[in-house]
Amino acid sequence: MERIINDIVEPEDLKKYELLYNDQTRRGHASDKAQFDYAWCLVRSKYLEDMKRGVALFEDLIRRAKDDIERRDYLYYMSIGYTKIKEYQQALTYVKALLKIEPNNYQALELEKYIEKKMKKEGIMGIAIVSGAVLALGGLIGLGVAMSKK
Amino acid sequence: MAAGPYNYSYIFKYIIIGDMGVGKSCLLHQFTEKKFMADCPHTIGVEFGTRIIEVSGQKIKLQIWDTAGQERFRAVTRSYYRGAAGALMVYDITRRSTYNHLSSWLTDARNLTNPNTVIFLIGNKSDLEAQRDVTYEEAKQFADENECSAKTGDNVEDAFLDTAKKIYQNIQDGSLDLNAAESGVQHKPATPRNPLNTDQTPSKEGCAC
Ligand SMILES: Nc1nc2c(ncn2[C@@H]2O[C@H](COP(=O)(O)OP(=O)(O)OP(=O)(O)O)[C@@H](O)[C@H]2O)c(=O)[nH]1
Ligand SMILES: [Mg+2]
Repeated sequence: MERIINDIVEPEDLKKYELLYNDQTRRGHASDKAQFDYAWCLVRSKYLEDMKRGVALFEDLIRRAKDDIERRDYLYYMSIGYTKIKEYQQALTYVKALLKIEPNNYQALELEKYIEKKMKKEGIMGIAIVSGAVLALGGLIGLGVAMSKK
Repeated sequence: MAAGPYNYSYIFKYIIIGDMGVGKSCLLHQFTEKKFMADCPHTIGVEFGTRIIEVSGQKIKLQIWDTAGQERFRAVTRSYYRGAAGALMVYDITRRSTYNHLSSWLTDARNLTNPNTVIFLIGNKSDLEAQRDVTYEEAKQFADENECSAKTGDNVEDAFLDTAKKIYQNIQDGSLDLNAAESGVQHKPATPRNPLNTDQTPSKEGCAC
């Protein structure tokens, strides 16, 4: 998991998908695909501001998601994003929501383990256990709003 | 486990590509953990695994990126082709469509890797002989290939090892330039990026091998 979390986007990829996304936005509306590709690059950026922006773009996508298949992908990247930002609380919430959709998802299980290890290491386990309790997917949208107000 | 900083002299980067559901992730898990996952969900983006192998008395660490076959991840996965020393291109012998798509996977692999990247064809699910949809002879005409089964483990080792042998041979005869930026091969780097003992879980990345 370490390797996935620490994987850094190639600057040229980030630039490429940023251009695509901005171009479409300027012309009215960016497609979900353009937004997904750009958000995915941002989450893997070295810079905190980019990561935050990436997570916000995924939060926006998940609001419009049509099915659990799409939701699953977004939840995974949101959890990765929050792990990188070190907001382990949110990271855990999202990975648990993913595990509700696919309880055997190996990537999600590994990510969950990784986040819990990080929390323990950084000593913020207490609060995590309480609110890390599995959240219904419906609750996620509210949570997304609550978080973006921070 | 915290012994020396290195117990290998080379690192080879691999990618595993091919249609969704052909068994790429199962091959990775079979190779790194000797386990078969009967009910494996579609990969999200990429998975990563490592294992140390030996070729001609040299210890080589394989860093393997297993890519998602689903179309919507194409942009995501393409960025992992760069700098791959080996590409395992997988199809499912029981589904002809996955074989028919090989030419487009091959085009991607050729365009996005370097000329020395060793591309190896794998026909997976050889345990399902009764449902076979592509004959061995036919595939053999398309490219040198290896049939294996991620389920039984049959021939899985060989697929990964034969690719490494070919890469190693390319290094030996000088056709692969180790100093080239995107050769996909590292020769014993000077400082370890992730000290081996930071990750205590015996995950496939923990390199307990
Ligand atoms: N019988 C048999 N089934 C296999 C074999 N390899 C994989 N499978 C099954 O095929 C399905 C798909 O395997 P995966 O490894 O998830 O396929 P993938 O290529 O990683 O798919 P994506 O991640 O979507 O690209 C799973 O249900 C596996 O159990 C095999 O060698 N034999
Ligand atoms: Mg997979």
